[in-house]
Amino acid sequence: MSELSLSTASEPDERPALFPALSETGSDPASRLLGAHMPSAGGLSSCLVAGKEIGCSAVQLFTGSPRQWSKPPLKEEDIRAFHAAREQTEIAFTVAHDSYLINLAAPVPAVLDRSREAFRGELDRAEALGIPWVVTHMGAHLDEGEEPALERLIRCLRELLEETEREGYRTGIALETTAGQGTGLGWRFEELGRVLEGVGPDPRLGVCLDTCHVFAAGYDLRDEQDYEKTLAAFDAHIGLDRLKVIHANDSKKPLGSRVDRHEHIGQGEIGIPAFARLVTDPRLKHIPIVIETPDADTMHAVNLARLKRLASGGELGMMVTVQFFGHYRDFMGEEPLAVCMPVGAVVRQLAALLEERDSRLAGLERHCRFAVNEEYADADQALLEGNTIAVLPPMSGG
Amino acid sequence: MAEVRIVTGVIETAALEAQVARDVHGGICAFIGQTRRHSRGRNVAYLEYDAYVPMAEKMLRRIAEEAEGRWGCAVAIQHRIGRVDIGEASVVVAVSAPHRAEAFEACRFCIDTLKETVPIWKREVCADGTYWIEGERAIPSEPAALP
Repeated sequence: MSELSLSTASEPDERPALFPALSETGSDPASRLLGAHMPSAGGLSSCLVAGKEIGCSAVQLFTGSPRQWSKPPLKEEDIRAFHAAREQTEIAFTVAHDSYLINLAAPVPAVLDRSREAFRGELDRAEALGIPWVVTHMGAHLDEGEEPALERLIRCLRELLEETEREGYRTGIALETTAGQGTGLGWRFEELGRVLEGVGPDPRLGVCLDTCHVFAAGYDLRDEQDYEKTLAAFDAHIGLDRLKVIHANDSKKPLGSRVDRHEHIGQGEIGIPAFARLVTDPRLKHIPIVIETPDADTMHAVNLARLKRLASGGELGMMVTVQFFGHYRDFMGEEPLAVCMPVGAVVRQLAALLEERDSRLAGLERHCRFAVNEEYADADQALLEGNTIAVLPPMSGG
Repeated sequence: MAEVRIVTGVIETAALEAQVARDVHGGICAFIGQTRRHSRGRNVAYLEYDAYVPMAEKMLRRIAEEAEGRWGCAVAIQHRIGRVDIGEASVVVAVSAPHRAEAFEACRFCIDTLKETVPIWKREVCADGTYWIEGERAIPSEPAALP
């Protein structure tokens, strides 16, 4: 199945009220905070309101434009509105992501100073907003050597933590695992471990694990054994106790590609089983998880619903797409419909689910034949992740 | 290699016959399915065909190749989709074989199997409404649903 058809296949999740039960499945288990990075175009408090609307209990946001150095200080009224929105939406966890321009390991002193100043601004805004963590990448050495870059980063973090500590800040810094693109630091767990150790024990210094980044950096998550190996390596070099936030993103690029391209949950190289394991892992149940997947406006609700389904079922799901023909096209349309099924489900179960979810599809199993990936399939055929199932009423060609 | 295709325009029967002609074959048989004015008591204005195109072409190829293997013939099949007016061809099966018996048999096999296994559906646009034809059932449809 081509990437193209996979990505178009995901849109039908959006069609209103077709399969409401799919997006409503699984209210958050109380202990599991799930959410998304919400765009802040409508103001900071709108991130929380919009996040609540799609079912977030955790929200990540930019507290300023991520591609600009200069940021006006927050207005008192915006801060008040943010606190009010948090109370009203009951979003339990917020986290800020810093500007893309910041490089706390920059070799050029002027850039380093500017980065430190900008990052201090990130901490100030987060503190004012009551956001407990600012996520930052570890910067890049820009071919000026990894060792001195790590030393600059350690020094910079220590200074920032010390000066804000003196001012009684509660907001901390979460270093994000990276994909290792270009000269970026922090793609090997050892590097993160070195920085944590270099700064010294500080409860305000933590780590954010990004599933897409670690996968692109070469840490596999796809089967249980590899997932356990990756988690064990994280624990050995960083420590699970330092993990404060998880970014759940699938990856467009393969394992070890060191290229950072986020993909919708279950539609990339990582796949559904890894996310099912992640959101049901008892060792991580207190760690908030946010998605940073593409097409926030249309797809955040879908990706979040997928994670919730996995979190609440504890059952491994797989995405398949369904295409309808004959008179079904009148109301189901031509666009494929994305459906999450338990792993191991057979054609008959899919038919039963379809009949149950939409009364207009009643009798479909008796009336139709089915094809899986363009081959006729009987009702007992097992479905696999990514399969395309066609619903074929009695034909009338000729 | 059998020539099979789902097309959206008029089917050129002569071109299909030319495609299958071989100098070692003594007979060419072409079946032309065309749209009828009357269908089960309804007065049909025109037809609209819809297909699961990639699977339909795969199934057509399989049918044609099976016929070629069984009867030592050459086969070309085209089926049209979209609007087809009364009296126009919706499907053409062209078969050439060493002798007429094989040509007739293979041609019949192709069109009969096509009707059973190739995922194509028709809608009859009639004076009193539009109907999807699914086996014995004629299911009322909204014409706007197809582009």
